[in-house]
Amino acid sequence: MILTPNILARLVAIVVGGVILQLSLFSRVNLFDVSPDLLPSLIVVLGLLGGSLTGAVCGFSAGLLLDCLLIVPLGGGSLVLLGVGYLAGLFRERFEINSPLVPPLLCMGLTLVAELGFGAVEMMLGFDAPVSGLVVRDILLKSIFAFFGGWAIYVGVRRALRPALVDDLSIRRSGRRPTVLGA
Amino acid sequence: MYRKQVRRRRAVLALLIVGSFALLTVTYGQGSNGIQRGVSTVFSPIQSVADRALKPARDTINWFDETFDAKGRNARMHTELEAARKKAVDSQAAIAENEQLRKLVKLDESGAIPGGYDTVTGRVVYRSPTVWFSDVTIDVGSGDGVEVGDPVVNGDGLVGTVAAVTGGSARVRLIADHESAVSAKIVPGGDQGLMKPSVGNPDDLILEFLSSEKRVGKGQSVVTSGWRSQAIESSYPPNLPIGEVVEASLKEQEAQAQVHVRPFADLRDLDLVQVLTGGSRG
Repeated sequence: MILTPNILARLVAIVVGGVILQLSLFSRVNLFDVSPDLLPSLIVVLGLLGGSLTGAVCGFSAGLLLDCLLIVPLGGGSLVLLGVGYLAGLFRERFEINSPLVPPLLCMGLTLVAELGFGAVEMMLGFDAPVSGLVVRDILLKSIFAFFGGWAIYVGVRRALRPALVDDLSIRRSGRRPTVLGA
Repeated sequence: MYRKQVRRRRAVLALLIVGSFALLTVTYGQGSNGIQRGVSTVFSPIQSVADRALKPARDTINWFDETFDAKGRNARMHTELEAARKKAVDSQAAIAENEQLRKLVKLDESGAIPGGYDTVTGRVVYRSPTVWFSDVTIDVGSGDGVEVGDPVVNGDGLVGTVAAVTGGSARVRLIADHESAVSAKIVPGGDQGLMKPSVGNPDDLILEFLSSEKRVGKGQSVVTSGWRSQAIESSYPPNLPIGEVVEASLKEQEAQAQVHVRPFADLRDLDLVQVLTGGSRG
């Protein structure tokens, strides 16, 4: 990803907008008694498009903003989301993405990791309450929502960051039409 | 060149991880800090606008969910309606009796909210996205007189307590959060216990440490006990409605001294809440 001031501003807007949208909209709606959590998907997409460093920094920033707005101890959200962003970026750097299903599947898998990570951070800080079996259902449904939401986020964010994407530039210069998502 | 890039990438990653742990260590246990107060001040106009602007979208999505849910709920509602009618008749008799008793003992105030408390009405602007903690952020804070530890209610009953405040917002720890513990009692009967959540299921609270001698029945109400013991006292005033006993098996009462309670307040769908400020908390 080519980072210019313009692209940096877009990244900041995407992260801030994503956090606000998550807290004000998605966290406050219920689908099958579960609130979708699309923030990990956003960070996964940023990691996939920008690489591990961009993913980690965006994840850290989004987590910090999340913790600030929720007035909870700082660092927990950052730790989880930076890990998610880094892993997504690492995936892009190590593997060839040659199927349109890869980004949503990665969003789904890493949302599962993020939810377990949030749980692990809470356990680390002290946890003294019984855990209902519905937690598993909640996490699985959140991951399924991430699959569908992740696809839409991938398309939207890719469009917003298109001028900065190196692969897209080379494709446009060569006149080839992109045949796969995330290539 | 590539190795240099990898080294730099790893250095940044290590820095971010160390930074996260440092932030956790420094800020854990604090109510709120300068950074959060600053961010809250900057974002409060945005959150207000976003909350109102996104309400139609929230309502639309929730409408779909409710439509799916409505079919199953219909049959249950019929049964509950019959029970409620019976209860309403009983309540009318109880109210009439209560009025006579009140005249007798010259009680000048009634209602769930005890005297000495002022109410501050707030709107839920954020909700935590993860299942592991049940917090909401409301748009009233220390500038409105809200303090850490203030109980929070809505029209149905107890919702939680204020866990942190900034100038214009406050974090409410819901009674379904794993850190929540409310001293409560069964009415009628007066058997007291500690209300703990069952993480992941906000419709299921567990009232534990009950006296094993008294039997608790399904349908009994649970209210805050509001205990006081010399220098310390409960954060919650007495008799705030919490919920209704929905599962009270004899086996569970004998073996674990606990029953399951469904909160009156719908903790998944909170909008307007009232913070009880002031009072005589120690």
